[in-house]
Formats: sequence, C-alpha cells, structure tokens
Amino acid sequence: MTSPLEFIDVALPNARGTVCDLTVPPHQVVAVSGPEDSGVGGLGRVALGLEPPRRGRVLVLGEDIAALPRAAALAFRRRVGYLPAGDGLLQNLSLYDNVALPLRFGTGLAEREIEGRIRIILTMMHLSDVGPARPAQVNDEQRRRAALARAVAFDPGLVILEQPFDGLTDRVAAELLEVARGGVSAGGSRRTVFITGQNLPHLLRQRVDTRYRVVGQKLVREA
Amino acid sequence: MTRRVSRLGALARFFWDALVSFGTLPRAGRRVARRVLLNQVWFTAVQAVPLVIVLSGLLSFLVISQAVRELGRLNATELLGTLMVVATVRELGPLLTALAVAGRSGTAIAAELATNKVMGEVDALEGMGIDPLHYLVLPRLGAAVVSVFCLIVLFDAIAIVAGLIAAAANGMSPDRYFDIVLRSLAFGDASVSIAKAIVFGAIIGTLPSFHGLRVRRAATDVPIAASRSVVGSIVAIFLCSALFVAVL
Repeated sequence: MTSPLEFIDVALPNARGTVCDLTVPPHQVVAVSGPEDSGVGGLGRVALGLEPPRRGRVLVLGEDIAALPRAAALAFRRRVGYLPAGDGLLQNLSLYDNVALPLRFGTGLAEREIEGRIRIILTMMHLSDVGPARPAQVNDEQRRRAALARAVAFDPGLVILEQPFDGLTDRVAAELLEVARGGVSAGGSRRTVFITGQNLPHLLRQRVDTRYRVVGQKLVREA
Repeated sequence: MTRRVSRLGALARFFWDALVSFGTLPRAGRRVARRVLLNQVWFTAVQAVPLVIVLSGLLSFLVISQAVRELGRLNATELLGTLMVVATVRELGPLLTALAVAGRSGTAIAAELATNKVMGEVDALEGMGIDPLHYLVLPRLGAAVVSVFCLIVLFDAIAIVAGLIAAAANGMSPDRYFDIVLRSLAFGDASVSIAKAIVFGAIIGTLPSFHGLRVRRAATDVPIAASRSVVGSIVAIFLCSALFVAVL
C-alpha cells in the first residue's frame, strides 16, 4: 500500500542543514517535534506544496504536490485535511461558516447536506453554542476546535496538523487527537495523522504511533 | 525606477491572473464566490448610496446654479445642457464616484486582505485547496465593477434631478431644463460612462487586492498597504480619466 506521506531527503529550513527522511504509514499517527529554530514547523507547508523544499521532495498520497500545476495542486490539496499553525480561521466568517467553507467550495454537496454534516461536527467538537460567533469572540481552545473541525469536515484520509496542541490542556489535546484520527473514515479505517510542533503533550505520547525529534543535524526516532 | 516598472509588471500579471482564474473557478466554488460578491456589492454600492447622493446633489446644484446665472447673463442658457452632460455625466460623475469608492471601499479591501495575509488566513485557504484569487480577489473585482457602474448611474440621475432644482430656483422652467439637457445627451455619453465604470471598477478591485496580498507577515504592513492602494487608485483613476479625454 502506498504511504500517504513520504519525505524524501527533505532539508529542513534551519542553519544546521537537518535532513528529514521519513515515511508516514497508513492509518498511523506520526509526530515530528523540535525546537522553534529547527524548521519543523514548516514541514506541513512543504508537504502541501505551499513552500518549496530547499532540497528533496515530498510525496502526498503518492503525488509530489509541489511539482503539480497550480490548479491541479489546489485540487489535490482538497484531499488533505490541514490545520495550520495558529488556526487560520477567517475572521470575517462565523465558526459555522469557517467549518463549512471547504465543503461549500470543494464538494458538490447541496447546502442542506452541508448543514447536516456541519451540525454533527460542531456537536462532536462541543461548538454548537458558539457556531454563529466569529473567531475573535471565542477563546483559544474553541478556535482550535473549529480549525480542526474544518480540517476534518470532508473526512480526508490524511490530516496534517501544525502545532495543534500549543496552549491546550493535555485532556483537550488528547480529545482533539482522537477527533483527528477519526473512529472510522470513509474507507473504513482510521485516518493518517501527521503532527509537527515544538513539544508533544505527555498524555499524547502513548497515543502517537511514531515520534521523531530533531536533534542537531539528525532526525531521531524516539523510543 | 526599475522597481516601479517591475511592480507595474507584477500588478498587470496579478490582474491577468485574476481574470483568467474565473475559468478555473470550481463549480461548487461559484456559489461561495457569488455570496462574497453580493456581500461586497452591499458594502461597496448600497452602503455608499448616501455619500454619492450628497456628492452628486451638491455638485450639480452648485454647478447648475452658477451656470444658469452666468449663462443667462450671456443669453446662452442653451449651453446648460452641454455643461451638464460634459461636465457632470461624462467627466465629474464617473471621476468623483470612482474616487469616493476608492477612498471608502478600496482602503477597506486592502486592509482586509492585508489582515487576511498577516493572520495566516491566505495560507490556510491555499492549504484547503481554495485559490485566494477565487475566494478573495475575483468577487471583489466583480463587485467593484458592478458597484462603480451602479453608483455612476445613480450619480448621473441625482445630478440631473439636483440640476433641475437648481435651475428652477434660478427661474428656469422644468420643461425648458429637461429639453436642454435631454437634447444634449447622446448615446456616446452613456457608453463613455459605461467604459469608465468598467475601467475604474477594475482599478478599484485590483489595486487594493494587489497591495493587500503583497504584505509580509507583519501587522505594521496593513496601514501601509491601505495607504498605497488608495494613492495608487487615485493616480490610476486620474490617469485613465485623462486617457479617456485624449482618446475619445
């Protein structure tokens, strides 16, 4: 089976010239962490072709997005759930409309179907009460929940999360990771999750299948 | 100088990309883009109606009041129609409307898109597979063209009505006023106004979007983008207005 995400000899954007060479197996949770200046934070962007790698290439679902023409790259990204660092929510839309945006833009679903799906997701994320609120009107945790809800709204097979747990309690982080993994996806199995960040909360270490850490020039697999 | 030429080239490229992106807008995305366009028309056109009414009414009242008095003294009130059509409908109407929209909505577009960029929202859109040209630029460009066109039509209509009030206040009968003004109005004047509406609307939709999306990730760049966009738009509108006079 093709690996959903593969970094082949990718140079991280840091002064040490760390090389990232790893494969994310299907239906597993893989986390890469490292200090702020390690360049780990940009791996998600590199994977999605938002930033060209200094060296090497990244295969997402077997495709090098960075090498695709723009329109094809955009269409391909709609198959991947993405939670950017911060949250990336559009400030002029309500949380409800933020979560609905990828469905409205990228699927041919009727508005009623989208509405039904969003209501389920918002309930699952404990956001039903604040659905009509703008991102600036809710707290950090609710914004992060909404951003994750948006990333998984169309039930992608692969989810890329950039610093998703910063500032959250371990309990909330564990809950969000479970949502990201999904009970079952459209294919009848768990999603593949790729996480980048500076530190992984303690409670989550047991729940992540493979952990890597940037140490100097090397990407070290943690026990 | 080289940097300015390069920036102009980038702006032309941006405008072209925005136009071409209409062809690649996904079917599902059209519904979303239409909604954004309608929101923009509400903000750019509908909410600007009082401003345009005041500008147009006052300008026309002042010009026609003076003209009726001065032209009456020279026994040349026939020229009132030409003055109304050339000065107000053809030149000042489109120019003032475009300047008002550039000042009011152009700055808002630039500030909004620059904030989108600074907050990482543009990257998030790209990451979700949504082209910022589709979601942010194209609807604003379309809305600016539609809004400027509608506001110019409104400006001209209010100007003619305000001119009537001014003429009546200075002793001219409404029949005579309408006779003079309508005789001077030609199809060519309307088509010039339409052409100007399209060009000025395109300027107001493109320049602020261009400057807004060019900022780097610093909040201090937002007011700079807004300021550059309004100055650039005003200069471009005056230049194009002069070009219209020279060509037509």
